[in-house]
Amino acid sequence: MRGDRQSFEVLLLKYERPVFNAAYRMLNSRDDALDVTQTVFLKVFENFAQYDPQRRFFSWIYRITLNESINWIGRQKRLQPLAEETSEEAAGPEEEAQNAGIAKEVQVALMTLTEDYRTVIVLKHFLECSYSEISEVLGIPEKTVKSRLYTARQLMKDALGTRN
Amino acid sequence: MAIEQKFIELIHADIDGEIESSDRAELAALLESSPEARALHAELAALCSALGAVESLDPPPHLRHVIMNSVSKEPEEAPKPRLLNTLFAAPALRYAAVFAAGVFVTISIVNSGQISERAFDDMTPLVGTIADPVSARLESTVSVNETSVAGQVSLRSSGPLLILDFDLSSREPVDIEASYTDKTIWFNGFAQLESSGTSISAESGKVRLGMDGKRRYAVYLHNQGGRGMTVQLRFIARGEVVHETSLDYSPD
Repeated sequence: MRGDRQSFEVLLLKYERPVFNAAYRMLNSRDDALDVTQTVFLKVFENFAQYDPQRRFFSWIYRITLNESINWIGRQKRLQPLAEETSEEAAGPEEEAQNAGIAKEVQVALMTLTEDYRTVIVLKHFLECSYSEISEVLGIPEKTVKSRLYTARQLMKDALGTRN
Repeated sequence: MAIEQKFIELIHADIDGEIESSDRAELAALLESSPEARALHAELAALCSALGAVESLDPPPHLRHVIMNSVSKEPEEAPKPRLLNTLFAAPALRYAAVFAAGVFVTISIVNSGQISERAFDDMTPLVGTIADPVSARLESTVSVNETSVAGQVSLRSSGPLLILDFDLSSREPVDIEASYTDKTIWFNGFAQLESSGTSISAESGKVRLGMDGKRRYAVYLHNQGGRGMTVQLRFIARGEVVHETSLDYSPD
C-alpha cells in the first residue's frame, strides 16, 4: 500500500476515530492522542509490507496504537509525571453534562490502572472487541484476556467506589 | 459466601454477551439462589453501563489533513510531530520557539515598512499566547472543515491586543484574508509555531496569509480603542473562495 494514498485514505477514514479514541483513553490527553494517532498512521503507511494479510487489519492497527500509547507513557514518565487532563467538556443539555461527569469519573479511574489492565478495558469497552479479538490484538490466550479483564474491572470498580 | 471462580467467569461472560447457551441455565440458577452472585452481577452491569455511557470523542477535523500531508510529502522520514511535541513539551521551550519565530517574522515586516516601528513595542510578552492560550482570553473560535483546508481559528484578547490564532492544515496552497472594517485597528505582528513558510502581507483593514501544509500561526492586531469588532475570514484555494466565516470580539 505504501505510496497508494487512496487506499491509505480509506483506512484513515475508517480507523481515525477508534485509533484516536483508544489513544486518548490510554493517555488522557487530546494533544498526546493526536500525536500518537498521527504516528500510528504513518507507521501503517511505512510498514504496510510487514502486515500479515492472514490477520485482520484491525488487530494490527490496534496493536500499533496500544504499543505506541504505552511507549508514549514511558517517555512521558521519564520527562514528567502524567498530567490529569480529563478535558471532555459538555455544554447545554443537563444529560450531556451528566454524561460528561460520568466520562470524567471513568477516565480518572481508568488512569489508576496499569497499562496492561487499561489496555483490556480500552479494547473491550471503547473499541468493542470480543474476547477472541482482544486475544488476537494482544497476542495472548483468551483465558489470559478474561482473567486480565476481570481484574481490571474489579480495579475500576474499586477506583470508582473510592472516588464516589 | 464466596462465589466460585467458574461462576464469576459466567457472570462476566453474561454481561459481555459471550456466555455459552449451555451455561445460561446454570447461571440463572445461581443468580436465583445466591444474593452475592446477584450483587456481583448488578455491580458489574453498572460498571459496564458507565463505561458504555462514555461517548466517543470526535478527532479534530484537521487531523486527517495533517496525516495525509505527512504521508504525501515526507514518506521517508520518521514522524516529525512526535519529535516536535517532545521538544516543545516544556512550556518554556515552546514559548522560546514561538518567540524566536515571532520576532524573526515580525522584524521582517517592520523593515518592510508596512507597519510603524511603534507596532513592535509590545510584542515580546505576548507572542507566547499561541502556545499558552491561558494568558489571553478566548473570545471566539470557528472550525473549518473543507477538502482543501481544515482546522480551527480562534480570536483571543490580551489588553489592547487581539490575537488571531490559526491552527490549520491544507492540502494545497491556500490564501486566507482576514479583514476588519474598523480602520483604527492596525496590524501589530505575526508569529508561527512548528512550521515556516507562511507568507503574509498587511494593508489597512486587511491581512492576507498564504499557507500550504500544517501550520500554526498567530496574527496580532492592535485595538487601541478596545471597541467591539468582527474579523471576516475568507479561505481561497485555486482562486476560489472555499470557506467564509467570521470571528467576533465584544469588550466587557
